[in-house]
Amino acid sequence: MNELGAGTGLRRLVHEVQSLELGQSTAYEGGLLVVSEEDASTFFRDPALAEVRVGCASPGESARIINPLDAVQPCSKGPGGGGVFPGFVGAALPPGRGETHILRGAAVVAAGHLPRAQEAVIDMSGPVAALSPLAATNNIVVEFERAPDAAWEDVESALRRGVLRLAVHLADAALDAAPDAVEELPDPTAGGPDGRARVGVVTNLQTQGKFKDVFVYGRSLSGGLPTAISPNELDDGAVVSGQYGHPALKNPTYLHQTHPVVAAIRESEDMWLAALVLCPEPVEQGAKELVSAHAARLCAALGLDAAIVTKEGGGNADADVALKMDRLDELGITAVGVFAEMAGRDGAGPPLVVPPSRATAMVSAGNYDELVTLPECDRALGGERIALLDLPATDELELPVAAVYGALNPLGWGRVTCSEAA
Amino acid sequence: MRIAHYLNQFFAGVGGEDAADAGPELRQEPVGPGRKLAASLAPEHEVVATIFCGDDHASTHPEFAAALVEQAREAGAELLIAGPAFTSGRYGLACARVVSAAAEAGMPALAAMHPENPGVAEVQGAPIVESGATAREMRPSLERLAAAARRLADGEELTAEDGRIGAVARRNRMADLNAAQRAVALVRDRLRGGSEATEIPLPSFDQVTPAAPLADPAAALIALVTEGGLVPAGNPDRLQSARATKWVRHSLEGRDSVAAGEFESVHGGFSTQWANAEPNRILPLDVAREMEREGAIGKLHTEYFGTTGNGTTVADARRFGLEWAAELRRAHIQAAILTAT
Repeated sequence: MNELGAGTGLRRLVHEVQSLELGQSTAYEGGLLVVSEEDASTFFRDPALAEVRVGCASPGESARIINPLDAVQPCSKGPGGGGVFPGFVGAALPPGRGETHILRGAAVVAAGHLPRAQEAVIDMSGPVAALSPLAATNNIVVEFERAPDAAWEDVESALRRGVLRLAVHLADAALDAAPDAVEELPDPTAGGPDGRARVGVVTNLQTQGKFKDVFVYGRSLSGGLPTAISPNELDDGAVVSGQYGHPALKNPTYLHQTHPVVAAIRESEDMWLAALVLCPEPVEQGAKELVSAHAARLCAALGLDAAIVTKEGGGNADADVALKMDRLDELGITAVGVFAEMAGRDGAGPPLVVPPSRATAMVSAGNYDELVTLPECDRALGGERIALLDLPATDELELPVAAVYGALNPLGWGRVTCSEAA
Repeated sequence: MRIAHYLNQFFAGVGGEDAADAGPELRQEPVGPGRKLAASLAPEHEVVATIFCGDDHASTHPEFAAALVEQAREAGAELLIAGPAFTSGRYGLACARVVSAAAEAGMPALAAMHPENPGVAEVQGAPIVESGATAREMRPSLERLAAAARRLADGEELTAEDGRIGAVARRNRMADLNAAQRAVALVRDRLRGGSEATEIPLPSFDQVTPAAPLADPAAALIALVTEGGLVPAGNPDRLQSARATKWVRHSLEGRDSVAAGEFESVHGGFSTQWANAEPNRILPLDVAREMEREGAIGKLHTEYFGTTGNGTTVADARRFGLEWAAELRRAHIQAAILTAT
């Protein structure tokens, strides 16, 4: 790594979590993560929360998580986090250097009702499990009761902070364990070997107010302009989600931490991950135009040969991707957009709400209207009934794939795509 | 093969707009353009029944389709043909509903209409062949329809060569790589000079020509309609907050405004805090009533229609539009104010 700028990259110390159970005290050893419910609940002591319960859901179990909210990968740079989740747990300063311990294969998931949180489901086994990133992780599920008369905004804030602090607490348990893998993430500004294409990631963050906002260093990008950060900062939790709409099209904190497009470019031998540009997703057309034009100029200033543009949410968020693709194309930067399709239950409607007018390179993360059947299961966390269908949460469910958490993830996590029927 | 042929009230000879409310009916003979169709299909195939319905009735009573298909089956029909509907929207929707109901019931079916007819998007499970834009092109439209019907009766698949139109359905499937890896592969392809590869074809959208302004608003009957998710408090109809598949109607009689606490928005696409504090900003009944009192507008319609415009499929939105237009026409409304959020 020295030739790439020693000391300025990030070293990821990976601890693989193979199994999960509740126990007397929180501990990590040999792939087993033990979580103390008593320790965990201390992070949720807040006037807005009457009670929390901690449960587990692991891959392959006949279990369903309903109303999942945010999900977070445990990480820590030292006792108390050492600066991860800046603006929430650590100080609001750019992280992304030094060493970070991560618990790969584990996630802290809050589950329950919040206003504007469209109902989502995760099946831990069965035919739909392959569609959700959280069906592949050992999940520490935090259920909660709102304190009487507490404002929902305060409930959301208490949950978000509690989930982040619990994620740090769990990773702290692995600080002294030998890592299963050590991964070096070079500093993107170091330039990279000759001959590689400089490729950036342009990630739009939803900015639609309470319960539909995403935070960078603890602040909303709402009303602001695009900004460039090091992709390595994602691993340290620089981007935290407070956005609970669009189950299949949401980007939980977990997927910002493990950003699939960032990972795919890092894996590529002929490309250099040069930059991450974060953009607000304003609701007003004029602001979309401004943010898109500015993002493209930022990419040009960063010397990018190509950029992959991602979004969050449905409908109008297509415009944010399409406009950026067009503005990048005008500046001679190759642009690829990741979209989900909204083509109707029969897949015959127009796939996009707003397509690009110049650029044409698009990846489809699938049609969100198509129906899927979730077989009945043994137990459910996060609630007792599916409000969408007014059915017990463990029943067989027929739902649009739009309700499956992360199924058409706009950060590119999933393998679902869409093509003309044979 | 024994064939049933669907027509609207006009082509069945029942009457024009004045008869658009006519209910469904069956006659055991070819009628109107069905006679020429029957002549082109004879002697191998026979039109044993004509089924028809008024366009407004068909728009507002979707169940008419399955009932007519059942009657056609009882009359011995083995194949159902609908149209040609040209660019007539309500007729196209009716044809779409009839052939979709036939397909649902397992009877082969075929519709004919112009590619720009909104009914094209409503057809499920049955092919559509292109017709001309107006009845002036009846003859070539019927010839193409008859030729396609013959191929369908022979059990063959219709293709673009037969004049087949309509979107090809896209289905979800699992790719080998995730979307991020495929995006990187697409970048590589483009950087190497490729210009074609993409996973999503560019969609085409309708162009809607705005209606002409009202000559005299002071004499007009005006309706309020909204996609802002406005419902009576408690949402008794369980209107969806996203991906709506239905719309609701509620009386405005005796109301000067839609008051906070009595109405609310269930829209899932924006924070409803302010809408719920003042529902008149979603459905501007307070201002509309003032204008009505001042004589600036003739009269307000007695009810409003509402749905949620949030992730709604184009097909559902188009259907709501057709149904609303038919309802408003039946109520002799001259203009509607559609508030969008």
